[in-house]
Amino acid sequence: MSTVVTKEIIHVTDRCKSCDHCTSVCPTGAIKGRLGEKHYIDHKKCVNCGQCLINCPFGAIVDMSMAEQVKKALADPSKVVVVQTAPAVRVALGEEFGLEPGANVKGKMFAALRRLGFDKVYDTEFAADLTIMEEGTELIHRIFAHVGVPGYEKSGPLPQFTSCCPAWIKYAEDRYPKILPHISSAKSPQQMFGAVAKTYAAQKLNVNPADMYVVSIMPCTAKKYECQREEMIASGFQDVDAVLTTRELAQMIKDAGINFLSLPDEKADRLIGSSTGAATIFGVTGGVMEAALRTAYEILSGQSLGNVEFKTVRGRKPIREATVNIPIKELGKTVPVNVCIVSGLKYVNEVIEDVLAGRSKYHFIEVMNCPGGCINGGGQPIRRDTY
Amino acid sequence: MSEIKGKVLKHSEQTRTMHWIHLICFIILGLTGIGFYFDITSIDNLFGGSANASNVHVWTGVVFTLGPLIYVLFNFEKFAKFIDTITTFTKDDFGWLKTMGGYVPFIKAEHIPPQDKYNAGQKILGLLVIIGCILMIVTGFPMWLLRDTMPAILVWLCWKVHFWTAVILILAILGHFFLAAIHPKSRVEFASMMIDGYVDAEYTSHHNAKWFAQLKKAE
Repeated sequence: MSTVVTKEIIHVTDRCKSCDHCTSVCPTGAIKGRLGEKHYIDHKKCVNCGQCLINCPFGAIVDMSMAEQVKKALADPSKVVVVQTAPAVRVALGEEFGLEPGANVKGKMFAALRRLGFDKVYDTEFAADLTIMEEGTELIHRIFAHVGVPGYEKSGPLPQFTSCCPAWIKYAEDRYPKILPHISSAKSPQQMFGAVAKTYAAQKLNVNPADMYVVSIMPCTAKKYECQREEMIASGFQDVDAVLTTRELAQMIKDAGINFLSLPDEKADRLIGSSTGAATIFGVTGGVMEAALRTAYEILSGQSLGNVEFKTVRGRKPIREATVNIPIKELGKTVPVNVCIVSGLKYVNEVIEDVLAGRSKYHFIEVMNCPGGCINGGGQPIRRDTY
Repeated sequence: MSEIKGKVLKHSEQTRTMHWIHLICFIILGLTGIGFYFDITSIDNLFGGSANASNVHVWTGVVFTLGPLIYVLFNFEKFAKFIDTITTFTKDDFGWLKTMGGYVPFIKAEHIPPQDKYNAGQKILGLLVIIGCILMIVTGFPMWLLRDTMPAILVWLCWKVHFWTAVILILAILGHFFLAAIHPKSRVEFASMMIDGYVDAEYTSHHNAKWFAQLKKAE
């Protein structure tokens, strides 16, 4: 079943009041039109983040929906429909059912997904752990190459940028192709999950991957673009077939007549053991950085971390920096690792220019498009009363 | 009372100029606003397309704001008196409202109480226009100049207030135009505001008896 609908994810409808508010929100200047003119999106520039959508005062901007394809797959008895849920979804889904923002409805969400007909319900946190192991190890190799440890000469250059945010990746490809060698080669948790689902899980469940349909529940509209990228076919199939946003999942639950709040708390199916707290913090700005630092610190120093929290990388400023002293066992000395967190693509240009000009003091840079991280993604519930 | 026999000067030159400026601005703002809100291409094209129409709208809004401000600055006493008149409601005004000044055919109007320089209906219109214009200004300028920094909820609120105030103002001004320019009982007022400022003394003695008496007394 081909699920490629269109890569043009975000659209301005004719309900546009030409108020021009969206152009100030767009991080890439992809929205065209002056005050008084119907606006439209230049899809070559759009990174599909959906920030315009959640900030449109008139609800006139929409994202392309894959909900119908998901419903078709659920109704098809020959398909084994597998779903993964991102960390930021569980603390936002409840808002659509009248709960306070931040209420963790993980258990009810898993229960609702089973009642919607999904055959296997998994948690993306496990894949986030895979990503961080990959990204953290890659960082270590780059640091080794940087300090001259033999055997790592072919590792990529420093600083290393994170690669989880699909809006950031498209932005880098469109605007700064020269920065691509600096970006981690690790896939995002969504795509790692897709590949693992259609290979390892398919084998474990004794399912032909051709009959497996992988759905992601994400706080992000750019994930709809990411799942359709030509290279995301590690399993031999499209690794993730469809993406639903938190809003779309809520709508499906309502359409199915499920009384969400009265559902019992259920647990996710287990693909491989448990996941860590590092995966949970992926959803907020600085989370990927903190998780990668934990991994890098333990591997580089050969010591177990007493306190796993790197609080210096937390906060709400759009650009934050910190220095973490990591004792490197193989060198017998402590190396200061300079890290930077960028929350919002609007602020990344200067950081990139410095890297390209060789002026950057950083070793590791996290970039997330949405202010505050995935928790404020373009697929999250829209609070028209407070925003 | 007047330099012309049988006539009363009701509106000074500056008042009439301000009224003309506001009227022209109101028509342009109304047209561009309707084109803008309802996406009517033919109206937008009158002003060179939608983006230009919105440029015309916002800059006309500047004139719409500055016109009365300058007028008030140079005619503060006159304006204060106007405000005093339109905010003073006596039993004669309520009596006028009960009979609607005899303008509505099915409301019996055997006795219409004497009125000030402005009758009760004009007083209400005056208040409506002043409050309406203030609302249009305080919502219009942020939508233009603060659209990038305002939270979306405020942009939405400004649009809603701006739109509904415009609807009320347009309806009120249409009613005002009908009574001041078309209705046979009161259309003599049209020339007074739009041309020379004068109105018949005889008409005034009936329609604005209280004010007429004041003028007589002052004379």
